[in-house]
Amino acid sequence: MAEVSVRKLIKRFGQFEVVHGIDFDVTDGEFMVLVGPSGCGKSTTLRMIAGLETVSDGEISINGELVNDVPPRDRDIAMVFQDYALYPHMSVKQNLGFGLKMRDMPRAKIEEAVQRTADILQIRELLDRKPKQLSGGQRQRVAIGRAIAREPQLFLFDEPLSNLDAKLRVEMRTQIKRLHIAFNATSIYVTHDQTEAMTLADRIVVLRGGVIEQVGTPDQLYNHPVNRFVAGFIGSPTMNFIDAELAESAGEASIVFNDGQTLPLTAAQRQSYASHKGQKVLFGVRPEHLTNVFTAENRGGAGLVPIEIPVEIVEPLGADTLVFSKLGGSEIVSRVAGSADLRPGTRIPVHVDMSRTHLFDPETGVRLTAT
Amino acid sequence: MTEGVATANAALRTRRRPRWRISEHPYIWVAPLTLLLLATYVYPAVEVVRFSFTNATLLNPEYEYTLRSYQALQRNTSLGGLLWITFLFVFASVVFQLLLGLLIALALNRGVNRNLPGVSVVRIVILSSWIVPGVAAGIVWQLIFSEASYGFLNSLLRDVGLPPVKWLSRPDIAIWSAVIANIWRGTAFSMILLYAGLVIIPKSLYEAAAVDGASAWRQFWYVTLPQLRPILLINTILISIFTLNTFDLILALTGGGPGRATEVLSLYAYNLVFRNFDLANGSVIAVVLLAISVVFTFFYIRLLPKENET
Ligand SMILES: Nc1ncnc2c1ncn2[C@@H]1O[C@H](COP(=O)(O)OP(=O)(O)OP(=O)(O)O)[C@@H](O)[C@H]1O
Ligand SMILES: [Mg+2]
Repeated sequence: MAEVSVRKLIKRFGQFEVVHGIDFDVTDGEFMVLVGPSGCGKSTTLRMIAGLETVSDGEISINGELVNDVPPRDRDIAMVFQDYALYPHMSVKQNLGFGLKMRDMPRAKIEEAVQRTADILQIRELLDRKPKQLSGGQRQRVAIGRAIAREPQLFLFDEPLSNLDAKLRVEMRTQIKRLHIAFNATSIYVTHDQTEAMTLADRIVVLRGGVIEQVGTPDQLYNHPVNRFVAGFIGSPTMNFIDAELAESAGEASIVFNDGQTLPLTAAQRQSYASHKGQKVLFGVRPEHLTNVFTAENRGGAGLVPIEIPVEIVEPLGADTLVFSKLGGSEIVSRVAGSADLRPGTRIPVHVDMSRTHLFDPETGVRLTAT
Repeated sequence: MTEGVATANAALRTRRRPRWRISEHPYIWVAPLTLLLLATYVYPAVEVVRFSFTNATLLNPEYEYTLRSYQALQRNTSLGGLLWITFLFVFASVVFQLLLGLLIALALNRGVNRNLPGVSVVRIVILSSWIVPGVAAGIVWQLIFSEASYGFLNSLLRDVGLPPVKWLSRPDIAIWSAVIANIWRGTAFSMILLYAGLVIIPKSLYEAAAVDGASAWRQFWYVTLPQLRPILLINTILISIFTLNTFDLILALTGGGPGRATEVLSLYAYNLVFRNFDLANGSVIAVVLLAISVVFTFFYIRLLPKENET
């Protein structure tokens, strides 16, 4: 078990700085996910924690001990690589036991640990094969097995599922989650896939361009994104953003779109946005909050505002349907009931759950809150 | 109606002769190369075998078939010595070319990974030793080993106050001088081959091993060596055959002397044919060399990695 703390961490490749002084902590037993678009420095950060990349500046500590200059083999970590990095010349059994062998564990103990791991991952019948004779999913299992066989204090994952097909990816995601629930080992997991981040994480670090945008639980990121980037990055389909103005309409503070359409604010919102009256804003609403579905949460809620939107493109997903449409002069997506019989060219009544909408500063992208 | 069209088409198809396509006849494609190989490799080999069963000399175009040369080989008392010298020369050359080649390749790989300057210069310098013709290499090393006042090594020894060494004139030392010269000449080949093997080992294997707790030495033992195994095997066999057939370097360096201290089989065959003009007996030795090479080649084929393993 381990705690990790990252302080003012900087990475430069030559003159080129790619991680610009980031801070975060991973508590004991926590599953932390680093997420962000390609090239934002996720892998670089993870590799510095592993000791595979030198630290240009700042500090990384594991269990309170500064490890900046500790070689990887003395950090008691295990890492699962994107390309699995299984030893091609060794059997699955030897792959699983390699870490233990390098720690000079007696042969019988290694055998025992290997069998236990193989049972957990259900790869017993693969033990004598070489990595080449395995499918992608099986290789993935072995790679994870190699990490857990050693029972390290810290697990690191660098996009371990990105080489799998969609179905297998979901399966392995659940498997990883199950393992984490069972062993409760401190883990740091890198991905660019927000769904993976949301489903696996206890907490998420959202990175962009080598800086942290937000650290929080999946719930915090989804419901209280600090800025437009996080709001747009988390959630699928992505949040709709519409240019608007915070104006007075019929004596009440409302959202007024460029085409004149207005949406009344809830009482709570009127209070918190009072100081922003008259400002240009970016109105943000998620597709699932622009819907014709009533849920236990929103039924009878104060903030439901009925509107009609034109249907342009329909993408049925089965359980629900995505409708591509226009609102306030912007392209939007709404998520409506799957049973609805929708034809392009018609109009469909939906409601906006105003209590779940956000306003962002159009210049800085920062979310407006009570001030 | 569509049915009618279909039958008409079928009829057309059966009536049309299948066109003769050159792309469907593989033998035509491999024929030129086969002819070339036959002319340059198989024909001379067959000729050597044929001459070994004759009493041919270079002086007389007439010859007849006989087994006398093979009988002479059995009675040849110097054969044991020749084989021993050849074995020493090949074995020592191969072992040290492999070791040195691997060391230099590892150092070079390190240098490239760390972006050290001058790596390509080192590579060119080492490679240049390989492209020097054997005779030239022999002459260069003769100057280095020379026991005259201008001898390079001996003047070095003299400068540090050590007595000179009889590099080329003492039989028990001369063979090692020949080995050293041959190692110098052949190491570059192994280095290049092993370096090519090193650069294709995925970096992530080393990273996985480092995280798994392997020290640098254990990474070499458990990742580098097994990954390099097929190339090491191929390399060993190739340089064994090369060295077995090397006589140009020794010819220029010692001429096989002093006495016959550095006379390897291939040089013996050369001497028989071109000094004694004894084509028949020279061919017999060549056949012996051929047989040894075939054995090596057999191992080479057996040890090549199979399709489904690496
Ligand atoms: N060895 C290196 N030398 C120079 N620049 C590098 C090196 N490794 C990474 N970079 C740069 O650092 C930045 C961050 O790379 P990193 O691999 O951490 O991105 P990432 O967030 O993992 O992206 P991805 O999702 O594509 O894997 C990139 O701009 C990349 O080009
Ligand atoms: Mg990456």
